[in-house]
Amino acid sequence: MQDTNHSAENPGWVQIVLIGRRPEFTLLRIFVLVLLCVVTVKFVLLPIRVAGISMEPTYHNHQIDCVNRLAYWRHGPQRGDVVAIRYSDPGPFSAPSQMLMKRVIGLPGETVWFHRGRVYINGRLLDEPYLKTPCDWEADPMTCGPDQYFVVGDNRSMPFKDHTKGRADRDRIIGKVLL
Amino acid sequence: MKIALRVALLIVVVLAAGWLWTVLFPSPEKIVLRRIHGLAATATISPGEGTITRAGKVSSLISYFSTDAEISYDLPDYGTRTISGRDEIREIAAGGFSTVGALKVQFVDATARVGADQQSAEVACTARVSTESNKDFGIQELRFQLKRIDGDWLITRVETVKTLQ
Repeated sequence: MQDTNHSAENPGWVQIVLIGRRPEFTLLRIFVLVLLCVVTVKFVLLPIRVAGISMEPTYHNHQIDCVNRLAYWRHGPQRGDVVAIRYSDPGPFSAPSQMLMKRVIGLPGETVWFHRGRVYINGRLLDEPYLKTPCDWEADPMTCGPDQYFVVGDNRSMPFKDHTKGRADRDRIIGKVLL
Repeated sequence: MKIALRVALLIVVVLAAGWLWTVLFPSPEKIVLRRIHGLAATATISPGEGTITRAGKVSSLISYFSTDAEISYDLPDYGTRTISGRDEIREIAAGGFSTVGALKVQFVDATARVGADQQSAEVACTARVSTESNKDFGIQELRFQLKRIDGDWLITRVETVKTLQ
């Protein structure tokens, strides 16, 4: 009888390895851990896979990265930031599954002009050390609205018309690419 | 601890009951979204599908639209165009279905908003199109307008949305 009580109080090593000494606490720990993972992946660090070549050579096709959704909690995007821009809004409790990855070059109210492959912001040449490929883009000046950011990819060797770029509304920018 | 477990169990039961309720009695938003996802499934073509299956799919596709439906698009490679009425949609769908090898259409990140009259709805979503050779063939933001006609939710208008201005 003493042996039986002893074995009930001191579970075997198999039980300890599989479900711990106190299964109810293990269950609680699993629940908290799963909840933490779901919240992190959905609302804080959103995992992404790069599709396409518009951010070459900074980001490559099929590269895995993360979007920090809290990056712009206190301030807006800065020039030079690589950001994720959502397509349709999936609602407050879901993370978008499709996004554009672009670099912010123009801030609200600024005029962006592509001339002979160089970018001019309000008439002043923008230094872009991240560009590694030649560019011959030519476009009329475009002015951002009070809540808009001009975004473009790093691969400027692509034809101008094939490259997705333009003014993104602030509420479409969901975060900053982490790495 | 027993009380905590009972509370946890109660929460699970309540959540399960809530989920079951939404399955048995779906909201109009859910019905509308189901309709849109049905459209995507109909527009999807598998490599092995023959001519008769594809023709059947065209008819099925048309049944999602109202007789006066309009599809208006403004796309970089295809320009601006408006397709009006079921007949024109059928013609274009038949042409596309006969030439495409395989196509996978998905409407992701979709949200539906049903009007106060419960007779009209709007769906915002992102269309993701994959082909056999290109998994990321195309992504386009879309807006659907639907009306409840004779008890069925029919698409009255589809238009492309510019993600970047």
